[in-house]
Amino acid sequence: ACHQQQQVVVLKMAHGLDTQHPVHQAMQHMATRLGELSAGSMRIDIYPNAQLGGEREILELLQIGSLALTKVSSGPMESFVPSFKVFSIPYVFRDYAHLWRVLQGEVGRELLQAGDAVRLHGLGYYDAGSRSFYTTAAPVHSPADLAGLKIRVQNSITSVEMVRALGGAATPIPWAEIYTALQQGVVDGAENNPPSYYLSKHYEVAPYFSLDEHAFVPDILLVSLPVWEGLSPQQRQWLQQAADDSVQLQRQLWRESTAHALAQLRAAGVTIIEPDKRAFRAAVAPMHASFRGTATGALLQRIAAVE
Amino acid sequence: MGISALVLLGVFTLLLLLNAPIAIGIAAATLAAMLFTMGFDVAVTTVAQRMVSGINSFTMVAIPLFILSGILMGRGGIAHRLIELAKALIGTLPGGLALVNVLSTTLFGAISGSAVASASAMGGFMVPAMEKEGYDRNFSAALTAASSTAGLLIPPSNVLIIYSLASGNVSIAALFIAGYVPGILLALSLMAIGAFYAIRHGYPVSAPTPARETLRRLLDALPSLLLIVIVIGGIVSGIFTATEASGIAVLYALFLSTVVYREVRPAELPGILLKTAETSAIVLFLVAASSAMSWMLSYENIPQQMSSFFIGLSDNPLVILMIITLILLLVGAFIDITPAILIFTPIFLPVVTAMGMSPLHFGIVIVLNLCIGICTPPVGSVLFVGCSIARSNMAALVRPLLPMYVAMFVILLLITYVPALSEWLPRTFGLI
Amino acid sequence: MAALVVNILWQVTSRFALNDPSSYTEEIARFLLIWIGLLGGCYAYRHNSHLGLDLLTQKLSPAAQRLAALLIDTVTIAFAALVLGYGGGQLVWLTLELQQTSAALGIPMGYVYSVLPLSGALMVFYCLALRDRTRAPEQGS
Ligand code: NA
Ligand code: NA
Repeated sequence: ACHQQQQVVVLKMAHGLDTQHPVHQAMQHMATRLGELSAGSMRIDIYPNAQLGGEREILELLQIGSLALTKVSSGPMESFVPSFKVFSIPYVFRDYAHLWRVLQGEVGRELLQAGDAVRLHGLGYYDAGSRSFYTTAAPVHSPADLAGLKIRVQNSITSVEMVRALGGAATPIPWAEIYTALQQGVVDGAENNPPSYYLSKHYEVAPYFSLDEHAFVPDILLVSLPVWEGLSPQQRQWLQQAADDSVQLQRQLWRESTAHALAQLRAAGVTIIEPDKRAFRAAVAPMHASFRGTATGALLQRIAAVE
Repeated sequence: MGISALVLLGVFTLLLLLNAPIAIGIAAATLAAMLFTMGFDVAVTTVAQRMVSGINSFTMVAIPLFILSGILMGRGGIAHRLIELAKALIGTLPGGLALVNVLSTTLFGAISGSAVASASAMGGFMVPAMEKEGYDRNFSAALTAASSTAGLLIPPSNVLIIYSLASGNVSIAALFIAGYVPGILLALSLMAIGAFYAIRHGYPVSAPTPARETLRRLLDALPSLLLIVIVIGGIVSGIFTATEASGIAVLYALFLSTVVYREVRPAELPGILLKTAETSAIVLFLVAASSAMSWMLSYENIPQQMSSFFIGLSDNPLVILMIITLILLLVGAFIDITPAILIFTPIFLPVVTAMGMSPLHFGIVIVLNLCIGICTPPVGSVLFVGCSIARSNMAALVRPLLPMYVAMFVILLLITYVPALSEWLPRTFGLI
Repeated sequence: MAALVVNILWQVTSRFALNDPSSYTEEIARFLLIWIGLLGGCYAYRHNSHLGLDLLTQKLSPAAQRLAALLIDTVTIAFAALVLGYGGGQLVWLTLELQQTSAALGIPMGYVYSVLPLSGALMVFYCLALRDRTRAPEQGS
């Protein structure tokens, strides 16, 4: 470490996932690409496992400028850029392809740029698939099966409203405590995407997975605005290129990881249900209507208008 | 190791020797080290942010609430009645109260899954009670602190879950089952120390209590016992979490001490609350400062550099295992258990699995090792709780802890070099 | 201070009593814990009850002890003013200016963080005046 080249720009990248997660692997690719593009004059150090803090705290550290890069779910992003709450509203997107047409279109670009006002510069979207419910005692075929169940949600107002709209009782619990909470019956279920459900081993205690796909929630790749502004135009271009390459790889890794997770879950004896989504969509219609006339409502309309 | 690590260690040692409040020593040393890699504004803002984030935790809400319920139990006659009952039941054994302390703290830790909650709940109540019976206050607090760690091995245990997530492929169910034998061994060794200590200091052993008197004490203690039933039953049956249980404990203790036993007057309550706030804040302030320091250590990659240097010293698996054990003990001195597991699992797991150790076995080893760390100075969350409850300084608490460290270390070596102790039970249950 | 403890208690117990998993109480409890930790830390500092190691200073001459105490006070004031006061102030400014809100309550995080500069000011004040320089009294009762 003593004989480092002069002038190597080190960018510290922190996130909350473990090293086997596709996001981490895509970040490693980003680090490799940046090293290649810049001929070793720029380097990314990755800190996985929430070593440097949870998602909300990492965002603050990006604003302060002591960390350079991170990826966050759109849930925590809501507290910083309110328009990101559209992703937590259930059944906003018709399907997976619709989500990506929106993200790669005008709406997606605007949302990424909205972060600049709060010192968070968006570099791109990672795929985080779709979120579905899993429960401890009985399978969920329709919203009626959720009635009265205590469902763990992310700590966000919109997630709480989402579960309420579907008839469950929303209970925000920290990520690390979900396993015990499910096991001890503090909550009856939770919701997440297939790889997280598999990797967190929550299926050990909640073996009913209902692929209702109530939300398509992308992750956002961000750079600290003070750090970004400290880079030369050439360095910014390298970083953006490395991010784009990483995003490409991540989408492919994510698809593989989802297929692998579902196969492993089946092998582990998890009951996987593919419910009829019409009843779920109908249940959240009043929630969509409640946004009419607000900025979020306008955004919802623009998203619906995307072919 | 980088210059920032040396600065950290230097400034911290100096301030510690000059009798600075430890929390301020930690925070000031962290800031000094950070100034080597970032600008002044960024550094001070980051330290401030890390301090707040360190105590922005719902789990830690249990600290003030359990301390409060402990004080209420002590002053409100609840503790007294429970101790009278315990004396009637096992008072004839040498060190009876010490045994009760270890047993109840271990049980509480086992159920609540939190060593800090267990140390604050049981310490706040057992330490004054033991002092009344002639036990040394520092010894009692030390025993509570050490026993609270056994609950991290006995399921449910959040740190074992964190290990499972960090390691990637170890079943949580298997880890939970694997934790029983080491956790119970740890508790038994501490009981032995408690009994030995009591005999050596000639603490009084009660005369056998007549059956009628035992029954009377049992009836008298019934409402107090109900507190334990409510708290533990509520957690086990999933009605509330350990943190919520702390609120329930306060409510019930308040009810017993002011309405039923009438030993606490409402006018005393503000004073009790203030004392609670102060006792808790001593712990919280330290946790805040330590979390800034542990952030800085990770940020500078100091753990990684240190490990790769030391592991490179030998090829012999037994020696490497010993080096890892010693590194973890050193790490545990400075970093709290959760960040330490997250940082060191990915570093050491590939090394030990290459040597043929199973990830399950290593999980128990790393957790047990870091359990020692949360009782060792200068940074140890249950040590802080112990000091705060005993109103002692660290040096006074460390003295009675020394034989307990030795016992824990012996258990650690046993668990490390005899895989069967961790693997036998999960294998019996067909989990591995 | 006392009110804060009562508040936490109230939040947790009301959550239990209402048996409706409220999404706010968890957040309120955490924020109150931050306030108790920092303000209580100042209060404990005023009573000189923070943990320290007096192994070495006990053996020093009275003059050297005074010198050590002076040095520690300087470090404490620097810490309180720079980290809690200035750093905390920056954090408050940053979170208010950039309008970060809390996840469940939607209140500005800057309000929560304002305890940092507040406790920084208190600690400097306690260090310069009003401080009990003897060790905290042993636990009575
Ligand atoms: Na436990
Ligand atoms: Na320690």
